[in-house]
Amino acid sequence: MTRPLPFSLILAAAVAVAGMPAVAQAPQAQAPINSTAGGAAGGRALAPGVQIQLDTPAGAAAPGTVDETALRYYARTGDVARLEAEIARLRAINPQWQPPSDLFSPQAPSQGPSFDETPIWRLMSSGKTAEARAAIAEERRRTPAWQPSDKLLHELDLAEATGRMAAAMGAKRWQEVLDTAAATPEVASCTRLDNLWRVAEAHGQLKQTDQAFDVYRRIVTSCPKAAERRDTIYKAGPFLPPERLRELADLAATSNPAEGEDYAVVRRALQDLDVGRTLSRLGGGQGEQPTADELASAQAAVLERRDAGGALALGWHHQSRKRHEEARQWFSRSNEWQPGDQAVEGLVLALTGLGRRQEALEAGKGWQGRSARVDRALRAARPPAAQPGRGTAGQGAGGWGELERALAQRDYGRCLQIIERMSRGGMDASLAQQRGWCLMELKRPTEAEEAFAQAKALASKAPAADRVRLADSAAYGETLARLQTDDAEGVLQELPNMRLTPERERSIRANTLATQALQAYEEKRYRDTLRLLDARLAFEPEPRGLTIMRGWTHYNTQRIDEALRIFEALDRRFSTEETREAVGVVKRAMYRGG
Amino acid sequence: MHRRDLLTLSAALAAFAVLPAPAGAAGMAASLPAADWRRFADRFIGSEGRVSDSGNGGISHSEGQGYAMLLALAADDRAAFDRLWAWTEANLLRGRDDGLLAWKWEPGKGVTDRNNATDGDILTGWALLRSAEQWGNEGHRRAALSMLQAVRRHLVVEHGGMTLLLPGATGFRQDNGVVVNPSYWIFPALAAFAAADADGKPVWEKVSGSGLVLIAKARFGQWQLPPDWVRIEADGTAVLPERFKQQFGYDAIRVPLYMAWGGYRDPYYFRPYGAFLARFNGGPIPATVSLPGGTTAQVPASVGMLAVYRMAARIAATGAAVTVPPPGADEDYYSSVLALLTQLAERSLGLTQ
Repeated sequence: MTRPLPFSLILAAAVAVAGMPAVAQAPQAQAPINSTAGGAAGGRALAPGVQIQLDTPAGAAAPGTVDETALRYYARTGDVARLEAEIARLRAINPQWQPPSDLFSPQAPSQGPSFDETPIWRLMSSGKTAEARAAIAEERRRTPAWQPSDKLLHELDLAEATGRMAAAMGAKRWQEVLDTAAATPEVASCTRLDNLWRVAEAHGQLKQTDQAFDVYRRIVTSCPKAAERRDTIYKAGPFLPPERLRELADLAATSNPAEGEDYAVVRRALQDLDVGRTLSRLGGGQGEQPTADELASAQAAVLERRDAGGALALGWHHQSRKRHEEARQWFSRSNEWQPGDQAVEGLVLALTGLGRRQEALEAGKGWQGRSARVDRALRAARPPAAQPGRGTAGQGAGGWGELERALAQRDYGRCLQIIERMSRGGMDASLAQQRGWCLMELKRPTEAEEAFAQAKALASKAPAADRVRLADSAAYGETLARLQTDDAEGVLQELPNMRLTPERERSIRANTLATQALQAYEEKRYRDTLRLLDARLAFEPEPRGLTIMRGWTHYNTQRIDEALRIFEALDRRFSTEETREAVGVVKRAMYRGG
Repeated sequence: MHRRDLLTLSAALAAFAVLPAPAGAAGMAASLPAADWRRFADRFIGSEGRVSDSGNGGISHSEGQGYAMLLALAADDRAAFDRLWAWTEANLLRGRDDGLLAWKWEPGKGVTDRNNATDGDILTGWALLRSAEQWGNEGHRRAALSMLQAVRRHLVVEHGGMTLLLPGATGFRQDNGVVVNPSYWIFPALAAFAAADADGKPVWEKVSGSGLVLIAKARFGQWQLPPDWVRIEADGTAVLPERFKQQFGYDAIRVPLYMAWGGYRDPYYFRPYGAFLARFNGGPIPATVSLPGGTTAQVPASVGMLAVYRMAARIAATGAAVTVPPPGADEDYYSSVLALLTQLAERSLGLTQ
């Protein structure tokens, strides 16, 4: 029995270049389409220039009489030979049966096994947008009739725009941040709050304060979550003058309140910012000093929050005004809330200022030999006669005594002046080394490195008993200075040739690894960042700053759970703006990813 | 049948479905009009089978030989093909000893840079494979397979989660990164390699798949255009490399050409050209664009580049119209090649004017 197959292969006039593996959809105008009762039949190219014609008369048999799964599968994969064979087979089973008219309709819901977008969604939600695009392009080449869902394409556009905004922010290309947001307006919304913040910050960085304010206002009046409004106040802090910030906080606390949200946190955020401003003015040393009221409210806030960093700032503030007892209390609190060599350094100097030298020496013991700053403070605490390794230059007033006072007051500019004066009679190893330490404090590592090199050279002229010790500590200082200038590789190479005490070697190794980890992080080599941070743990416990970097590294490599665990732990131990923001950002990322 | 089995089978079948069909000589002969081929051959191919790059002081390179061999196939000019390959084999293949082609040859001096240029090897390998299919030359098949093996051995690297093509055997690995040229992903050639090179099939498929990822990642500036050169970091990030021209230019214009020719029609990959064209609506289109800044060159795009733009814009369907003037009597080598290759790609895609 012969009967015409409903499919006929028609070689299109345009003959393809043979050997080109191109599968293309021919222009619709050229496609031979037979309109049918169903109206859904379409022409489709299965190979270059090869058209398949679908001819489906009305009155097809009721569905379900034959299994069309394989048929649809062959249609979808473009396997013409099997498609024809399958049609013949089904016709043999049921002569009344007609091929369905929607065989080539893209994504018809009734279609059997259709292309599963799940893997592409998975790629996208793990941040692999390029891989998702590649998978779509490959599938469209294989099956030109297939179309990704609009939802998928839309989400990809948004994810890519977000990525571009984040990259532009990182590269400080503020205008590109704004252009990207303008091209995809939906990318900046309450559900993608990070992007709204980026737009506002880009305006702020471009000194477009009014536009920045408008965006912040849009957030705090339309995004309902109190925590998000609070974080927006923090974000706006650096870019708005205090009165506009207050205006923003008022709006945030009152506009469009949502059920169950407590907007009191917004007020507290404003307070935090005020305290932060006070404390940073304390640290600045110059410029307008805070009023007594501001100082009192900052002190209360620091006490309430057990803010170790704030306590340090307050300690130095009092110490520089020779209010040694207040200074001692703040340094002591800071060290209790979060032990660290900076607090101990302050404590040693404050006790020295109070004339309680023995207690000062006691207090510094734990860090002796492990922290350059504590060692230096301890030198100031020792009675002048006990100072070892002194040169002959400038013993009396205006000499070492004055230098100690400058150091105790952390006045490193004066330290340099005094040394300059003292060295007029000739530089010696101790003096050169002290100059190096003061330059380090002033964040001038290149000059410090030179001073330490000079100290190392001068050590050979020192009394025999001091020679080795002076040379070694100068070498140590030189190494730390080089680390500050980011020459971690150079330092590591030479480490085996340096005569360092085990303590110092550990300290240098830890410092080197921290420098390298930071470099890796900045270059977005996140695996390396974690590897370096882990390696560093073998030498020293991890300071808070590096743990925060560890958290962001996890965040950037999509290990959101781990990032959240780290930030929450930090925040529980000691909550700061930084940790609060980190927890917020990570939680929002989880919300979006889920 | 379980759904998962179906999907696996589907992927396998789909991959099979796009293998190059056995070539028909008739199809080939029809694809490049004799007059177009004659004009190209007369202007740029010497009697010994050497192609001169008129825009670069008449030097010759592996890329030019490969392009001319492909055009000879499309024009069904077997004698010209044999001369082109004979010269290439004698001068560029013998210029190295590892199965790759020395990329640069200068009149009166011979090979002046022994490094290879990977696109030259790929184009030539592809042309040889097609010669074997079109004219049944088994010697050419053996030569092609040995070239493919050399490319796999010396130029395919795993880096940053991708399978990348080094642009040359020496000079493109930097401390933690690799510099690649996106326009060296000649997709139709890679698909042909996967079909013809049984040992290398998984490698070529990975190279091809990574090319799509690479081109999705390497988009810069306001128009999101691909750069001529891009550095891939160890974590797979794409950045513009130091010490290379940071631009979309004479190399990267081939990215949309090869993608289209390889059967890729996803508008995502073609929209950047549509957006770029829209910016110069009606006026002259610049030949190069700095990235990411977007500064454009004074020099306008050549006829061949415009032909690529026109094809890309049609696929992107952004509505940008491009007028391609007829090639001038003194149209240079590269512009002529791009115009002819685009013509071939359009015919293979059914995109005839």
